[in-house]
Amino acid sequence: MTDKTGKGTLARRDLFRAAGLGVGALGAAAVGLPAASPEAKAADDRTGAGYRETAHVLRSYDASRF
Amino acid sequence: MSSSTDAGTSALPDEEILRAQGYGLLANLLARPPEAEMLHALATVEGDDSPLGAAFSALAAAARATDADAVAAEYGTLFIGVTGGELSPYGSYYLTGFLNEKPLAELRGDMARLGIARDDSVKEPEDHIASLCEMMAGLIAGAFGAPAALAEQRAFHDRHIAPWAPRFFADLEASSSAGFYRAVGTLGRRFLEIESQAFALAV
Repeated sequence: MTDKTGKGTLARRDLFRAAGLGVGALGAAAVGLPAASPEAKAADDRTGAGYRETAHVLRSYDASRF
Repeated sequence: MSSSTDAGTSALPDEEILRAQGYGLLANLLARPPEAEMLHALATVEGDDSPLGAAFSALAAAARATDADAVAAEYGTLFIGVTGGELSPYGSYYLTGFLNEKPLAELRGDMARLGIARDDSVKEPEDHIASLCEMMAGLIAGAFGAPAALAEQRAFHDRHIAPWAPRFFADLEASSSAGFYRAVGTLGRRFLEIESQAFALAV
């Protein structure tokens, strides 16, 4: 943060405290954080009928050159 | 994209760390369906009486009421589908009706300026809601160099998130095929409401 601790900063701080973003709300969930890069997908070994990023799918993404 | 939010966080005020964690949590939940371990962690979250706190409690209840397979199926129906999910999580699509339109070009310009790059292994457009949340978390916590000044964060938020993400979360909240993700929608919507109020306070 490069801004000084001015009125705006304090008002922001109060807002976040009042807003329920208080310490503890995230407590355990924050354990999973900092986020593993959302895009860094682990090898998907899930079974099921849904979408799976198989080698074939990845190859077609490569071919589409986005 | 590397997102070690450790670097630089120690000097950050508490509320900034919490903001970064809020964005990080949304990014985690929307990039891919949470694994069992993540659901267990979420199940223990207790919010306070505020609207956002209630959204955290509701998310915890939703996490207790489901399991990893059910959430994965729900995620697929919502965002992936066979010919497309029920909701498109991409900003460009929300704003223009098409993927890879001008909003994505503008985002890429800003990313280049901020020194953020997409991981080479990723082929999805960068304007995915999870990517945008991750970028906000990174800007706040300093994952891309020094933490970004508030004005910079605000510009990024106003340009790439505010125009569509609140609508996306509201749609998610109202989706009939969502169960767990309705709670994510409520959380995201309320979190962003507070974010925009907070940006308005900063002078």
